[in-house]
Amino acid sequence: MDTLYITKKDWDSFIKGKAEICNIFAPFEYERRLFYNRASPDIEKDIVYNRVRTVEPLKIFFAPFKERVFPEVDEIPEIVIMGVTTCDINGLKIMDRVFMGDDYKDPNYTNRREKTLIISSDCLSPYPTCFCELVGIHPYPYDGFDLNISIFEDGVLVDIGSDKGRSFIGEDQKFLQASREQINKREQNRNKISAMIKESNRAFDFVDITTKLKGAYHTELWKLPKDIENCVQCGSCTNNCPSCVCFLIEDTGSQETMKKVKVWDSCLFPGYARMAAGVSPRPTLYDRYANRLLCKYWYLVENYGKTGCTGCGRCIDGCAGKIDKRKILTEVLREKTAIR
Amino acid sequence: MMENIYRPIRCEVMDVITESPTIKTVVVKPENGFSFLAGQFASLTIPGVGEAPFTPSSSPYDKEKLEFTVMRVGRVTDAIHKLKKGDIVGVRGPYGKPYPLDHYKGKEILLVGGGVGLAPLRALFLALIETISNYKRIVFCCGARTPADYIYKDMILDKWHNLCEKYPLCFRITVDKKDESWKYGEGVVTKTLDGLDIDIKNSVAVVCGPPIMMKFTTLKLLEIGYKEAQIYLSMERKMYCAVGHCRHCLIGDVFVCKDGPVFTYDQIKDKPNIWV
Repeated sequence: MDTLYITKKDWDSFIKGKAEICNIFAPFEYERRLFYNRASPDIEKDIVYNRVRTVEPLKIFFAPFKERVFPEVDEIPEIVIMGVTTCDINGLKIMDRVFMGDDYKDPNYTNRREKTLIISSDCLSPYPTCFCELVGIHPYPYDGFDLNISIFEDGVLVDIGSDKGRSFIGEDQKFLQASREQINKREQNRNKISAMIKESNRAFDFVDITTKLKGAYHTELWKLPKDIENCVQCGSCTNNCPSCVCFLIEDTGSQETMKKVKVWDSCLFPGYARMAAGVSPRPTLYDRYANRLLCKYWYLVENYGKTGCTGCGRCIDGCAGKIDKRKILTEVLREKTAIR
Repeated sequence: MMENIYRPIRCEVMDVITESPTIKTVVVKPENGFSFLAGQFASLTIPGVGEAPFTPSSSPYDKEKLEFTVMRVGRVTDAIHKLKKGDIVGVRGPYGKPYPLDHYKGKEILLVGGGVGLAPLRALFLALIETISNYKRIVFCCGARTPADYIYKDMILDKWHNLCEKYPLCFRITVDKKDESWKYGEGVVTKTLDGLDIDIKNSVAVVCGPPIMMKFTTLKLLEIGYKEAQIYLSMERKMYCAVGHCRHCLIGDVFVCKDGPVFTYDQIKDKPNIWV
């Protein structure tokens, strides 16, 4: 991969220039957390690079909470999203496979994907709830972006991930070829962060999680970790998850003009799988909780060849019942192995 | 511009037939025709109310009109029951995997249907009749709760029955509870499988009905010697998108909408809560 170097000062003025002509969204700090906001030229200097994931998952840009899908949204603007972390890049990889992976392409999603440039960045200050390393993801990306930036001393290393990324930089002479030494030094930094995340998760065991979870449907098994009963079925975990894609469709409009509106749904809601006559294949909270995790770590692997969980930890941070999924999974895997 | 996967084809309601106190058949004419294979389903939109998946009950050879036989059980089906001639509805599809008729060639085909589950079997039966020389024999076992609940009565008891003289075809008919008007069998539909004269090794069984009926029919079929892979089931789940995006219809890791709705028993037997 081609990696360039630019001084931080030149990068800032490059982005300021871009903010004059592009719709740029980037992370900004608000009450010590990061949220995406429009990076207009006057607030460009407040963009927070290379810290940690944002509060909102990246999916809000591609599959909003509620939107019309028929007729499809006709004006989708071109945007640039900055500060995307690897956990969200991996969530996007699942969404791409779901919404554009086969003959049936979601109209709005496909249009938005085409019109978006993604600038990811390394994660340098992970939260205690971050656990990407447990699911085989590193806090820095190797692919899935148009450009990736790593803050490096007083400069920025810029990886070119696509032609779209390359043309965003264009012929700007301030970007120089990065040296081997700079790249090696970044590698050392990255390894440090990886080690830090592994260390903060050493109490949890996710080894061979997909294989071990196969067949773990039994309601009784999921009654064993006591914390599950604290789930209030609010849907926070699914709303905050970068790879939870479930939605329902509302029919609005009339016989003359039919309209269909897509709205996020949550498999934790009792009505999610309930059929017209009232029966549900997942009648208890334990069935629904199990389903979410089985979907994340097993079904998505079968469906799209990739684990849905990206280790972002939003489902833990946002949980109204203060449930730590890592603890639940560690317990369930231990119990299941013991039962065998 | 990419074709919108959610675009329904406009259809005019041609007729609404009352089949039983809770079941109606709606006949619609799609604006530009509609092709499907037996077992595949379509999503029927009632504008402003909602959308639900149904396997058409009409012949797949009829490209001009579609029939949906629908039991009134909820919000959307309630609106379907209120449809009148001339109303406009929408249809998307066809979706899912059909009955694999190529695999049925040269075989004795056992159809077992209960209640509104006879709807997909009607489409299959009409397709089989069109190509009857491909198959050795058709045995059609039909059940319903009471004589009043029987759908397609004029066909099963009369029109189709008359075909038995012409084709290698027979019907085994029952109701759970009969009344004085009923001159056929009594008992649940699995009873029609007792003393079945069929070459099981060279046969396939196709089952459609309420979950409890499918469960006990499957168990009975296994008991009389059918292999798991010879039993075809039409599965049903809550569904929205019908194209594998919304994930509502998953049974474990399989999608009813794109891996099904027709499954052989061995494909789903280890999945969670298959009989709901």
